[in-house]
Amino acid sequence: MTEIKQKPVVLAVDDTPENLDVVKGILARDYTVKAAINGQMALKIVEKAPPDLILLDIMMPGLSGYEVCEQLKANPATRDIPVIFLTAMEQTTDEAKGFGLGAADYITKPVNPPILEARVKTHLALKQSMDELQAAFGIIKQQKDRMQEELNVGHTIQMSMLPQAFPAFPDRTEFDLHALLKPAREVGGDFYDFFLLDDDRICLVVGDVSGKGVPAALFMAVSQTMIKTAAKGDASPASIVTRVNDALSADNPTSMFVTLFLAILDFHSGCFSYCNAGHNPPYIVHADGGLICLNQRHGVVMGAMEGLAYGESEGKLQEGDALFMFTDGVTEAMDTEGQLYGEARLEQLLEGVDRSGAKPLTGAVLGSVERFAQGAEQSDDITILAYCARQSGEAGSRDSLDLTIDADLARIAEVLEKAQAFADQAKLPTGVGQKMGMILDELLNNSISYGFEDPSGHEIDIHIHADSSRLTLKVSDEGIPFNPFTLNRPDTSLSINEREIGGLGVMLVKEMTDKQGYERLSGHNVITLTIELNQNNQ
Amino acid sequence: MKIDISESGDVRVLAFEGNLDTSTSPEAETRINELIDGGASKLLINFTQLNFIASSGLRVLLATAKKLGPAGGTLGICGLNPTVQEVFDISGFGTILNVFETEDEALSAF
Repeated sequence: MTEIKQKPVVLAVDDTPENLDVVKGILARDYTVKAAINGQMALKIVEKAPPDLILLDIMMPGLSGYEVCEQLKANPATRDIPVIFLTAMEQTTDEAKGFGLGAADYITKPVNPPILEARVKTHLALKQSMDELQAAFGIIKQQKDRMQEELNVGHTIQMSMLPQAFPAFPDRTEFDLHALLKPAREVGGDFYDFFLLDDDRICLVVGDVSGKGVPAALFMAVSQTMIKTAAKGDASPASIVTRVNDALSADNPTSMFVTLFLAILDFHSGCFSYCNAGHNPPYIVHADGGLICLNQRHGVVMGAMEGLAYGESEGKLQEGDALFMFTDGVTEAMDTEGQLYGEARLEQLLEGVDRSGAKPLTGAVLGSVERFAQGAEQSDDITILAYCARQSGEAGSRDSLDLTIDADLARIAEVLEKAQAFADQAKLPTGVGQKMGMILDELLNNSISYGFEDPSGHEIDIHIHADSSRLTLKVSDEGIPFNPFTLNRPDTSLSINEREIGGLGVMLVKEMTDKQGYERLSGHNVITLTIELNQNNQ
Repeated sequence: MKIDISESGDVRVLAFEGNLDTSTSPEAETRINELIDGGASKLLINFTQLNFIASSGLRVLLATAKKLGPAGGTLGICGLNPTVQEVFDISGFGTILNVFETEDEALSAF
């Protein structure tokens, strides 16, 4: 651009010099008027220095005005220069031909000076607007390309939040798992996750955020992070989902939500508990091809409403069984005619699927969905997570016992009897069985005697699990929140007459176990104790 | 829970079998108190057949020792299995009660 504002250049083309003089006389005050007396000359001038506008006579010797216009419009460098036909011809068919060739306007001679001035001015203004629009479009396109670039980066970041290295736990012989996520757009709302909680348990998560694009991806990232954080130190899917739902709902101005399936699975015993918040029910694929749909639902989608209490259910995988989790991108995949893939097709596939490992399983399902879709545009993210139970443990040496009793001292004897039978059957060392009895007696006595304002109508859950390396006891009651392990240690150096007994039971429990845990989960006190089955406890 | 009571000279020997815990301690305390109320002042509790003892059982032993002491009586305990021994060690009861390995050893100490 030049600093000095120059007059716009108008090229007038006419084989009659008098006509050129007339035009010059009208426009010279506001425009630089160049003149050409035939078509060839006009094209040469345009090629050298394109004018801002061309006034073109039609009937000329040599190239006609139509031919000149045609050539100008065919050349990308000159096609945007507005052309106004200026001619004595009056038939409407000629006018139409002129517009058909891309002319901007059509003025008949004799020229009316104010009309010519006005038309030239209008078309120059239009041309300027067009130029500005094109410049703006260029900027927008550049911005759009940059956004696209950033979306691609977003996709990379989103995928990097999901564990993608497989085999994920090469040292674990107890199970095999595989997951895949095929996004419908660059960034989507689906996600999966899996992580070990300790040496026995793994947390499995599959979720689907409402909506697509960047908002869904951000909500997904927040949900996934919250779940992972909440799952540390919380063994209850119901409690995790309840807490994350509260956090998501509390600050959710966009009213997004997420469907979620979350399971915590003991990979030694195969026992798992799960919570389903509005998600597609997963399947257990048995080693023999039998299929169980885990259709228990424990509440609505997460993020919709604060203060909801979610429930949980339990299940068990045997060696060779698979837990198959997915999002609705699988069952709602459409073929070119808009037909859905559907549950029935999925179930049929799972019944005969390759169960040799988790990867063949996820691959078989994705392959089936893709073949069904036949290249139809993918309407939703597709996420699949498969967990295959390999070994349920060293035969005979692992087992578990679950009991639920009324909160009544008279029921303790029954628990101790069953625990003793369990210890015998699991071939636990005598000393370990004795300790287990003592510990259960202390915990239940404490809970029933001091844990409730009125114990009647309350229940206590007891879970005992033994594997080759440790015995785990878990006692859960819905009593007053209380962590017994925060009690002060009683003074055991006092003489008989100074002795009080309070707190002694808890101290014995603490001293005779290798690990003690207390959690307040879903309104329950949960005490978890571990005794290592090493030489010291034989 | 089974308590077998016999006499060895002026010592009453109580042989416990099973667990001394929340469910069984009240009965054990009743039986012991019956003996003390009946004039017995030397008690030997034999734990050879005892599976485990919980804090409620310790409470009975403590109450018994407190009852016998001022009256010039004696409480002896013998036959602790490793688990019971561990409870005695942790709680300090091994140092405040008279603990013996065998019944014979205990009886000769009365």
